[in-house]
Amino acid sequence: MCQWISAQNDSIINLKEVVVSDATLHLSNKSQSIQVLNDSVISKNQSSLTNLLNYNSVLYFKEYGRGMLSTVSFRGTTASQTAVIWNGINVNSQLTGNSDFNTFSAPDFNSVSIKAGGGSVSYGSGAIGGTVHLNNDLVFKNKFVNDFRFDYGSFTTLGVNYKMAFSNKKWSTQIGFSRNSSDNDYEYLDLYTWKGEQRKNENGQYATTNLYANLGYKINPNAVLTFYSQTSNTDRHLSLVSESDSKTKYINTFSRNLLEYSEAKDRLSTNYKLAFLAEEYQYFGDIESDYFSFGKSESIIAKVDFGYQLIESIKLNGILDYNHTKGFGTSFGNNTRQIGAVALKAVQHVDDKWQNELSLRKEVSSDYDSPFLFSLGSSYIFNSFYNLKVNLSRNFRIPTFNDLYWEQGGNPNLKPESSYQAEVGNIFSYKKFTLSETLYFIKINDLIRWVPGNGDNWSPENTDRVNTYGAETILGWSNTYGKNSFAVNGTYAYTISKNVDTNKQLFFVPYHKVTGSIAYSYGKLSANYQYLYNGFVYTRSDNDPNEIIDGYQVSNVGIDYDFGFLKASKLGFQVLNVFNQKYQSLEDRPMPGRNFNMYIILKF
Amino acid sequence: MKFSKLFFVALMSVSVFVSCTNDNDDVVDSGDYNQGVLVLNEGSSEQGSVSYISNDLSSVTQDVYGTVNGSDLLGKFTQSIFFDGDKAYIIAGGSNKITVVNRNTFKLIAKIETGLVKPRYGVVKDGKAYVTNANTYSFENPDTGNTDDFIAVIDLATNLVESKIELNATANRIVLENGKLYITEPYSNDKLLVVNPTTKGLETPINIGSDADTMEAKDGILYVLRSPYGAASEIVKVKLSDNSMNKITFPSELQDAKNLDIEAGKIYYTVGTSVYGMDLTATEASNTAILNYTSTSDWGKMYGFAVRNNHIFIADGGDFTANSKAYVYSLTGTLQKEFTVGVGPNGFYFNE
Repeated sequence: MCQWISAQNDSIINLKEVVVSDATLHLSNKSQSIQVLNDSVISKNQSSLTNLLNYNSVLYFKEYGRGMLSTVSFRGTTASQTAVIWNGINVNSQLTGNSDFNTFSAPDFNSVSIKAGGGSVSYGSGAIGGTVHLNNDLVFKNKFVNDFRFDYGSFTTLGVNYKMAFSNKKWSTQIGFSRNSSDNDYEYLDLYTWKGEQRKNENGQYATTNLYANLGYKINPNAVLTFYSQTSNTDRHLSLVSESDSKTKYINTFSRNLLEYSEAKDRLSTNYKLAFLAEEYQYFGDIESDYFSFGKSESIIAKVDFGYQLIESIKLNGILDYNHTKGFGTSFGNNTRQIGAVALKAVQHVDDKWQNELSLRKEVSSDYDSPFLFSLGSSYIFNSFYNLKVNLSRNFRIPTFNDLYWEQGGNPNLKPESSYQAEVGNIFSYKKFTLSETLYFIKINDLIRWVPGNGDNWSPENTDRVNTYGAETILGWSNTYGKNSFAVNGTYAYTISKNVDTNKQLFFVPYHKVTGSIAYSYGKLSANYQYLYNGFVYTRSDNDPNEIIDGYQVSNVGIDYDFGFLKASKLGFQVLNVFNQKYQSLEDRPMPGRNFNMYIILKF
Repeated sequence: MKFSKLFFVALMSVSVFVSCTNDNDDVVDSGDYNQGVLVLNEGSSEQGSVSYISNDLSSVTQDVYGTVNGSDLLGKFTQSIFFDGDKAYIIAGGSNKITVVNRNTFKLIAKIETGLVKPRYGVVKDGKAYVTNANTYSFENPDTGNTDDFIAVIDLATNLVESKIELNATANRIVLENGKLYITEPYSNDKLLVVNPTTKGLETPINIGSDADTMEAKDGILYVLRSPYGAASEIVKVKLSDNSMNKITFPSELQDAKNLDIEAGKIYYTVGTSVYGMDLTATEASNTAILNYTSTSDWGKMYGFAVRNNHIFIADGGDFTANSKAYVYSLTGTLQKEFTVGVGPNGFYFNE
C-alpha cells in the first residue's frame, strides 16, 4: 500500500512470473530515484492521473478548472519537459509536446511510477524534468480476476471501471474499460455575478472513456510475445471564465498499440518493439456550430534492443530505433518527420551494493540537429541504512509539429531544447521507514517560447536559458500492530527555476509543494487522509508581485469498509476538499469547494 | 424627560445634518478618475484592465476596474471603450460583453452580456449604441465568416441588445457623422460601409480600397488611413455630402502607416515606432518624424496611440505577458513621462 522507492527487480526476464512492460525502468536506472504508486494507492485517489500525481508526488499541476486541460511542471521545467511513458513508449503529444494528465485514467494501469530527472537516453524527447510511467504488467500464473468499481459523486460525477485479468502459465490477458463523466457544474466559492447571483462552473461537462486490452504469450521459457493496446476519448466542454464567453469544446482521442517480443538465452537478450500511436484533437470554437479545427498525428516506432552479458558484472545493450511520424490538421499541412537513433548502454553490476550505469544516444532527424545525449550514474548501498545515487545526464526536448509547421508562425529552423542535469540522491532506510532526499541542478538551453513575431503572428524561438535547482524529499513509513495498519507518506519539493537572462522565477513554478497522506486500517475498515499544499506562483514573466496565484491547502478524507463477500466488496465514502478551501491553480479558474464521492468496489 | 427628548431631537438633527453632508458629498464627488487618461489594456491570458494616468502626469493607478469592483471580471481582450455622458462602455471582445461603468468613479453600473459575438467598437446616437461585432471568422467558418458581421443596436436605457443590423461584410471600426455610421475593416473588406441608423438600412458602400482601418471625421470630411501590404499608404478623404474621394498618397518609405488621429488642425499618424504630423489642409504627407521611440516589441509597436491636449500618447504592446509601457511626449517630440501600464495596452481615452 505504500510507495516503494526504487523497487528491486529480478533481472532475468524469462523466469519471471510477472512480465514488466518497461524492464529498462528499474534495471538500468538505479542511479535515479523512482517512486512507485501501486494499485492500492491508485484506488484511494480520484481517477484522473492529475489527481493521483497531484496528491502523491512532487509534480505540480495547473488545471483550467476541475477535469479540464491539465499540464505539469516537474523540477521547475515546462509542461513539455516531462514525458509520459506508456509501457515503455513515450506518448507525449507530437503536436503540443506535452501530455494532458486529465486524459489518462490512473486505474487503467497496474502501477504508475515517477522517475525524477533526465531520461532522454532511454525515453527520448521531453524527459528533462522527469518521466511518468504508466505500466501494465502481465502475470503468468493461473488467475481469473474481475475488478469492478462504480463511483458516484457531487456534480453528477459518475465513474465506471471494469478490469478483467485472465492468465495461466502460458497466456496472460487483461481487458479493461473505464468511463468517467461529470456535469461539473460546481459553485464557485464566494463568487457572485454583478447581479448578485452565485457563480458556478458553466460549460465544464466532460466524459473520458478508455478501453484497453493487453495480451502476453510465453512462446517458450525464454521468449515472450506481448501486445498492449489502449484507446481513449476525452470529450470536454471548456469551462467559461465569464458567463458571456463563447462556449467551446475539445475532443481528444488516442490510440496506442505496442507489439513486443523478448528473448533471453545465455548471454544474449533481444527485445523488439513495434508501436503504432495515433492522436487527434478536435476543437469546436462554438458548440452550436458543426465546424471544428483539428490536428492529428500518427507514429510508427520500431525499436531493437540487443543485450550482451560481457562478463558477469557487465551488461551491454545496443539499441536502434526509428520513428516515423505524420502530422496533419487545420493549422498545418501534411508533414512527415523521421527520426533514427542509436544508443549504447553499459550497466556494471559490481555487486548487490554497487551499480554503475553509462548510456549514450545520438539521434538523426530530418528536421533538426540533435544533441549527443548521455547519462552517467552510480548507485552505492553503503549499508542497510544508506544508499547514495549520483547521476549526470544530457537531455532534450524536440520541437513539436506545432512549433515547426504552424501556419502562420511555425519556425522550421528551431533547435531542440537541451539540458544538462546533475543530481545526488540519498536514500535512508530504517526499519519500516524510508526517506529519499534528492538535490538536483538542471541547466536548460534554447528553451522554445512563442513570441510575437513578424506581422500578426506569434512564432516560436529558441530564446530562453533557464537554471533550475532544488530539493525533493519523499518519505514513507508503514507498520502493522495486530489488526491496526498504518501508512504515512509525504513529499516536499523546493524549486528554484530561473530565467538566466532576467533572473526571474519562471511563472507557474511554485517554490514549495507539499503532499501528505495517512492511511489507517483496522481489519476490514480503512480510512485515509490526504493533504496538498501548493505555494504561490507568479503568473507573469516579470514576477509582478500583484499577479500571483495564492498558495493553497486542500485536504481530502475517505473511509471504506469491506463487507467480506466475494474477493473484496467495499463500500467507500470520500469528502474532497473537506475544509472547503477556495482555491485555483490558474487565474479565474476556480476549483470546487467541499464535495463528496462514494464508491463500490467488487472483486471476484 | 425633557432633557432626553431634547437630546433625542438634537441627535436626530445631527444625524440629518450628517446624512445631508453625505448626500452633498455624493453630489460633489465626481470620482477618483475624472481628471485624467484611461489606458485600456487588452490583457492576454488574463482579463483586460484599465490603468489611469492623472492629467498632470504625476501618477498612475493600475487596474482601476478591479480596485473599485473587486473580483468582478472585465472580460478577455478588452478592445475599446465608448462613452455616453458620464458612462463608459468597455467592450471585451473575447468575452462577448460590454461592462458599463461610471467613467469618473469606475463603479460598475451594468453589463450587456447577450446579443454580442466578438464585439469590437461602438458609437452612441440618441440613446442607442451601435457596436460592430466580428461574429465568426473565415478560418473557423469559411462559408459565412466574412459576411456575418453585424451591428448590435443597444438600448442604453435597458442595456439590452434590441436589434441587429446585418452588414454582409466584415466590420471593425465605426464612426458616427452627420447621422450616419461609417465602418472600416482592414483584412477582408475593401469598402467603407455606410449605415443609416434610423432606417437600420445599408447604404451604398464607398470603394475606398483594401486595408482601411483608422479614421476620423472633421468638417464634413472623413479621413481614412489605409495601408495596403507592400504598397504606399494613403489617406482617403471622403466628402460625406456627395461621397466623392480624393487621396493623399504617402511617400514610399512610409508604408504600413497606422493610427490616424486628428488634433488641433493636424493629422497625426505613425509608421513603425515613429510619429508624423501634417496639416489638415496639406496635400502631401510629411516624412519628417516628430519622434521615434524605442521598442523591443515585434508585434506591439504603437499598439495604442492618441494625440490630445498638447501631448502625444504612445502605448507599447510589449511581450503581451507582462505589464508594458505608455509614453507621453510633447507635440514637438520631447519625452515627458513614461508609465508602466497593464498587459497589451491598446488605447487612450480622456476624462477631462
